Amino acid sequence: MSCQRLKDWIEERYDVEEMKRLARHKLVPVHQYEIWYYTGGIAMFLFVLQFITGMVLSFYYIPYFEHANKSIIEIVTKLNMGWFFRSIHHWGAQLAIMVLFIHAFSTLLLKSYRKPRELLWISGFILLAISIFFGLSGYFLLWDERAFAAVRVATGGAGNLPVIGGFIKAFLRGGIDVTGETLIRFYAFHVSVLPIITLALIGIHVLLVQYHGMSVPLSLEKKPQKQIPFFPNLFYKDLIIWLLVLGIVVSLATLLPPEIGKMADPLAPAPENIKPEWYFLFLFQTLKLFPGDILGLNGETIAIILISCGILFFFLIPFFDRRSSRGEKSVLFTWIGVFYTLYFIVMTIIGFVS
Amino acid sequence: MKIAYSLVTRRTFLNTLFGGWLVAFCGGSLYALLKFAFPTLGKEPDFVVLKTTDFINIPPNSVKPFAWGGKLGLFFKKENGSTYALKGVCTHMECNITYKPEDKKFYCACHKGWFDDNGKNIDGPPPKPLEFFEITTEGEKLIVAKKGIKVELPKA
Ligand code: FES
Repeated sequence: MSCQRLKDWIEERYDVEEMKRLARHKLVPVHQYEIWYYTGGIAMFLFVLQFITGMVLSFYYIPYFEHANKSIIEIVTKLNMGWFFRSIHHWGAQLAIMVLFIHAFSTLLLKSYRKPRELLWISGFILLAISIFFGLSGYFLLWDERAFAAVRVATGGAGNLPVIGGFIKAFLRGGIDVTGETLIRFYAFHVSVLPIITLALIGIHVLLVQYHGMSVPLSLEKKPQKQIPFFPNLFYKDLIIWLLVLGIVVSLATLLPPEIGKMADPLAPAPENIKPEWYFLFLFQTLKLFPGDILGLNGETIAIILISCGILFFFLIPFFDRRSSRGEKSVLFTWIGVFYTLYFIVMTIIGFVS
Repeated sequence: MKIAYSLVTRRTFLNTLFGGWLVAFCGGSLYALLKFAFPTLGKEPDFVVLKTTDFINIPPNSVKPFAWGGKLGLFFKKENGSTYALKGVCTHMECNITYKPEDKKFYCACHKGWFDDNGKNIDGPPPKPLEFFEITTEGEKLIVAKKGIKVELPKA
């Protein structure tokens, strides 16, 4: 079948012309903040990369405590390109989470969450939370000493939440303690529960962007706007950036393959100088600010309640920021946004160097 | 029999019926699924039985681990020769602790918590002292039990 006949075949059945017209008519605004708009696309690209590498890794990984650590060592030492795919999966995850944070904070500072885009913010927030859980569960699959201690602390920390804490902890651990059961559970989260939720949410998120169109920052909204067609102008720009990102991931994966620690042993002491993954450092540092007990109450619990409130407020910002939802300048929330961003960056850096 | 008028329209009746059906079905399924997904919780043991010879002869100022259920237990001999058993799990966020013979203290690497050799939390975030157990020996058997538990061994 020649190309032309294939084209005819499809065109006879589907209204390709109409789709082409749609693509041609989709315009996107251009302005000086445009650069931040690529972060969403980059995140999506990295997700695709994660899905693909994750699928092939799952062919060989064994989610059973006696074999988990060894099976990863086999993947990186014995299989064709195994080290490469594992390394890509690792670095893709790191970058994806980083890009998501940048995406979230730029949305916050440009106030693109404002009416009518509240649902976009909410779906994005949940995606970020899920990605972090992706990170934690993937990290645990290594089943090395560090991962073991990290998950013990993370699930133990969740257990400090009042009322529902114990329930969450037992649910995540699959028992009263972190064991091989927990490993299977985290594997299930990592390869089935989280991916399916992620796919659904990305679908909703992207559809909503199409529905609302790209947001234009408040300060530029009133000025005359320049627009360019999405296809092919912006699409090509996206492709260029994705190619760059792919280059970065591959370079990192090749030059800095992640290490695999000693197999976890539930009876071994926690390893020295243990630190959580970088995206938990800001929480870790915040917890450190609180003493063990405050006025006879458990300081940990208080800290965790306060942190939860901070995160909840962040989640609900579109509903608190009334002024920008009316299209007015909202200085207070600019400061709040700057505060959140700086807090995250500074605490992460302190956690990193200390 | 024909009723002249009804309190609800046929539409409302059907909507309620199908709505109720859906709610009951979804609610029931969700409940069952969650029930299934929630693990059956084990319990920490009340006591464990170890072999005396494995533990009693460790050098002074040192510890030897044993399994307290799935958790870490430590058999501990102080410098003066007195012996103890304790749960080797930090009271802060449940990391395993380690004994530092140089300092004669217990250390938790997760958030730099310290306990003295009586298990008292002396530095760092841990909010509570370590949990010590009671030890009794019965010939070959070394019985480590939670405080205040009456141990009844099956008669062999
Ligand atoms: S878990 Fe031991 S100090 Fe935090």
